[in-house]
Amino acid sequence: MSSTPHTIAPGEHAADHGYAHHPSGIMRWITTTNHKDIGTMYLWFSFTMFIVGGLMAMTIRAELFKPGLQIVNPEFFNSLTTLHGLIMIFGALMPGAVGFANWMIPMQIGAPDMAFGRLNNWSFWLLPPAALLLILSLFVPSGAAAGGWTLYPPLTVQAGMGMDLTIFAIHIMGASSIMGSINIITTILNLRAPGMTLMKMPMFCWAWLITAYLLLAVMPVLAGAVTMLLTDRHFGTSFFNAAGGGDPVLFQHVFWFFGHPEVYIIILPAFGIISEIIPTFSRKPLFGYASMVYALSAIAILSFLVWSHHMFTTGLPTAGILFFMYATMLIAVPTGVKVFNWLATMWKGAISLEAPMLFALGFLFLFTLGGFTGLVLAIQPIDVQFQDTYYVVAHFHYVMVAGTLFAFFGGIYYWLPKWTGHMYDEKLARIHFWLSFIFFNITFFPMHFLGLAGMPRRIPDYAQQFADWNMIVSIGAFGFGLSNLVFLYAVVKCIRGGEKAPAKPWEGGSTLEWTLPSPAPYHTFETPPVVQ
Amino acid sequence: MTMIHSRHRSPADAAHLRAVNLRTAAILVAIALVFFAGIIVSHYLGGAAAGISVLAIAIVLYLVVAIGRNVGSGK
Repeated sequence: MSSTPHTIAPGEHAADHGYAHHPSGIMRWITTTNHKDIGTMYLWFSFTMFIVGGLMAMTIRAELFKPGLQIVNPEFFNSLTTLHGLIMIFGALMPGAVGFANWMIPMQIGAPDMAFGRLNNWSFWLLPPAALLLILSLFVPSGAAAGGWTLYPPLTVQAGMGMDLTIFAIHIMGASSIMGSINIITTILNLRAPGMTLMKMPMFCWAWLITAYLLLAVMPVLAGAVTMLLTDRHFGTSFFNAAGGGDPVLFQHVFWFFGHPEVYIIILPAFGIISEIIPTFSRKPLFGYASMVYALSAIAILSFLVWSHHMFTTGLPTAGILFFMYATMLIAVPTGVKVFNWLATMWKGAISLEAPMLFALGFLFLFTLGGFTGLVLAIQPIDVQFQDTYYVVAHFHYVMVAGTLFAFFGGIYYWLPKWTGHMYDEKLARIHFWLSFIFFNITFFPMHFLGLAGMPRRIPDYAQQFADWNMIVSIGAFGFGLSNLVFLYAVVKCIRGGEKAPAKPWEGGSTLEWTLPSPAPYHTFETPPVVQ
Repeated sequence: MTMIHSRHRSPADAAHLRAVNLRTAAILVAIALVFFAGIIVSHYLGGAAAGISVLAIAIVLYLVVAIGRNVGSGK
């Protein structure tokens, strides 16, 4: 695709609309309705939560460094595993994806901003108090929620005040997500530049459009589930309370009805980022654009039909087991379409291995590995053996960390020149990649062996036979944690200065954001471009 | 992607766009509210298995229509 440079100088037209001057200092960030400011805040919030959740993971791994109890007591350990999951999913990964959406969707579709600026501001500013509630729940007298991030009753019906704070936090974060998804859908459907049909949209925008629909469908279901949990705890209802005639297993059905699409809510934006990076650094258009869109849609629809594969040990009827087993395996088909299309995009391309491409390749290799172990877990007789073992922990970390997080790292390096106006330090970024890749595998690959040997998850102590691999896993985890300091240094260094980035730092970049100067002006595309 | 400059958006365009945005948002909010209330009401009425099945079918249909419609029209 060829592009005509579209140069809107900083501030051009803005004075006409009376918003050329925005507040400075802290008020800029509190009152901003600018998608770039809000995207920046989402990304920094996500990184902060990533550090908080990561410190919890470090504490967990320090406790598991050798058998026996050494650092934390078992109750606190359970709170740490619970909060680590909740913070990483709701505080780090989801807001991170929304940060990318805020920054890139308007610039990729030629829109001046998101459709609802004030709603966008609200969506973000709901998050810090929610995160604070989650973290503060550690300090209430009865301790934080400790029943796992899945919040299964009866533990969560019986738990103390920390559980109420967790439920409240989930409500707030859910509201934020729903508001964000409404904004994204409206922006993409109504604010695209003239000539940009849906089937001409960049794949990142497609991935986010489908993700936003998923969010809109499942976040209210989670909100409903935790509301019922709350009324069971405080208002005498018995939705899930067996003592009053309720059914705790029903909660699992409702939770996973949200929880499985949630996996795709986290991974689809990552697919979108990868679909931008691979064509750029292969200097070829994305192979099979339409099939990629259909594959994304198929993954989204199938994600609603597989929730009970998380519940194979709860005593489902045989027909149900077979249905959920085969439906789960079916997801491998559209996912395979995407993987093969990425490979076909690279085939005979003029590939260069800058940091974003390295992370994309890391993603491709490791996410596929995580997908394969997912297929293993989809087989019910095997899943019964692996349920709640470290094999499951290894599987979902390959999908969530090597999948989503690697895509985020790649996306940050890819768009950092556009965001900051400076090129990042390529050497530092490559060091970051290799440290991440090596330590990630040292951390999570041996977990497969631990799971196969039968080590259960969410325990602070374990049998002597698991000691060696656990020590290796902990060393890998500390290394992986420290590698993120390299990332932080590389990003801060890029923000503070460095080689000036041209408007289009990547030769293969073909989407609208590369027609804007670097850094992208505060207001962009006030005059809508016409895409031909 | 070839691109040319277009004209400014006029106040009339802006008002129309705002109305369209609000209509889209209102539909999306209604969907979210139906899902939120639907899951609670289905459990409250006791037909939870039937309720969740109906909701699942509704969501799948909604996704098929919402995504399929846009893909099919090629807008």
